[in-house]
Amino acid sequence: MDFTKLTINQLRQGLVDKKFTATNIVEFFLDRIKTIDPQIKAFITITDKIALNQAKIIDEKIKNGKEIGKLAGSIMAVKDIFLTKDIETTASSQVLKGYIPKYSSTVYQKLIDQDAICIGKTNTDPFAFGGSTENSGYFTTKNPYDLTRIPGGSSGGSAAALAAGLCTFALGTDTGGSIRLPASLCGVSGLKPTYGLNSRFGITAMASSFDCPGVFTNFVQDLAILTNITAGLDLHDATSSANPIPDYQSLLNKVDLKGLKIGLPKEYFTDDINPEVKDSVMTAAKVFEKRGAKLIEVSLPSTDLGIAVYYILVPSEISANMARYEGIRFGQSITDSTDIISYYMATRGAFMEPEVKRRIMIGTYALSSGYYDAYYTKAAKVRTLIKKEFTDVLSQVDVILAPVSSTTAWKIGEKASDPLKMYLVDAYTVCVNVAGIPSVALPCGFDSKDLPIGFQLIGNFFEESKILSIAHQYQQSTDYHLQKPKL
Amino acid sequence: MSATKINKNDLDHIAKLARIDLTESEKETFLPQLESVIEYFDVLNKVNTDGVEPTFRVNEQSNVLRQDEVKESLSVEDALSGASRTKDNYFVVTRTIKNGE
Repeated sequence: MDFTKLTINQLRQGLVDKKFTATNIVEFFLDRIKTIDPQIKAFITITDKIALNQAKIIDEKIKNGKEIGKLAGSIMAVKDIFLTKDIETTASSQVLKGYIPKYSSTVYQKLIDQDAICIGKTNTDPFAFGGSTENSGYFTTKNPYDLTRIPGGSSGGSAAALAAGLCTFALGTDTGGSIRLPASLCGVSGLKPTYGLNSRFGITAMASSFDCPGVFTNFVQDLAILTNITAGLDLHDATSSANPIPDYQSLLNKVDLKGLKIGLPKEYFTDDINPEVKDSVMTAAKVFEKRGAKLIEVSLPSTDLGIAVYYILVPSEISANMARYEGIRFGQSITDSTDIISYYMATRGAFMEPEVKRRIMIGTYALSSGYYDAYYTKAAKVRTLIKKEFTDVLSQVDVILAPVSSTTAWKIGEKASDPLKMYLVDAYTVCVNVAGIPSVALPCGFDSKDLPIGFQLIGNFFEESKILSIAHQYQQSTDYHLQKPKL
Repeated sequence: MSATKINKNDLDHIAKLARIDLTESEKETFLPQLESVIEYFDVLNKVNTDGVEPTFRVNEQSNVLRQDEVKESLSVEDALSGASRTKDNYFVVTRTIKNGE
């Protein structure tokens, strides 16, 4: 049986009906990883023994007639910035090489508690700083559709693992597009939830007022199931939301497409966008129009300020968060220094990847004496404007539909030497993070090189059930999400 | 904020504040890169933000308080398990005061 094609519910039902065992599923995916991952390099750590052991426990439960979790039978790949108890967590940086956490991130633990099986940790840009995985301190992950191209990032290992059929779902984080961009470039679905919906506890911190953990799946229905499990108040994360969590899965058909007002922001459909991508995203919009939705042109005039706001505020928060990596409490260190300051400087100089250093320095500069108001405070004010534009537009339309990336996956190395060029790939994703609102990305076609194209549906704060319902109905009418790369 | 240029002295200053040793070749690479990124920020100059309050967090929360209760936490052994050097349940750090200070 080809387990890559099954949904979370189908995998669980198959176990209950004794069509197959959890061990069968794990062995199937481990075999695939063994043959396919050496080309893709999605995984940093493969937790084969742990996965087989978890499978055995689930199979025992079934044998003894005990209750099994909602995710029993589902195979999970975990971005390596999620702390996983007793499993090495490197954040794809040399800084944390060899670090074995003694506790787990909340989101990961909630999924494990529902019997999800962790099969491995996936590659990312170090500490999630990047859009291609090329900044990783270990290696670059390849796009399963074309091994000479990047998978997008930062959660590129997770998106590539799912696209290559090496897991049922994968964990990522989206601080400026790090779920939606790789989802789009690898042809899978991903949800960036409202800020605060999923706990940030136990995930290496990038920018604390932006970071959003989330999931990648093949099916929107699975996004709904997983988000119901991951969401909710966590006493370990003071910014996690206490809002009640609706049953996303039961609401998947709730939104009536007839009469639905879909806003197309003109700033996201300019000539800067590749014509094939534009056509494909417009075709997706027409799918909704055919089913009775109204397409309305809207304007988000500050869109072109998003990158500047993001790359001031995020590195500022990074520079503060990264202060904890001083080589004393965890991580690698240079121990032959004579005093503490040179110990810090030597350790950080030796093990931090170039992009980590760049972002810390940009943030340090923006927060330094004499520049604070000109950069940090100014950017924080423009953040207010961007957020207001979104909430204003979302009071006139039900949802915003936009491309995720102006191009399909680019060649490895193409933008690696120019940080600003790399930062600009986030142009269509960062504003959503600046505002803090949710967005779901899903596949909507292929370009002439057979590379996947994606689009996003953006909702107002805590409107996950609405955007998931609209996305689900799109997948009921189309089959792009069922197409997979030939490997 | 006007078209600010950063020079090598600025870079050294920032690296020192950020507690990062840079090699000469890193400095050569980073200087033009940081310059172009920081120049790009000038796009915000054209925006009128008079009377606009800054946003530092997107949700409406203010102080989040909890009861001060003792709860189970990491053991001392676990808390120290990632450290490069420990002694008698403490982290060991390099000398913090230079000789003669």
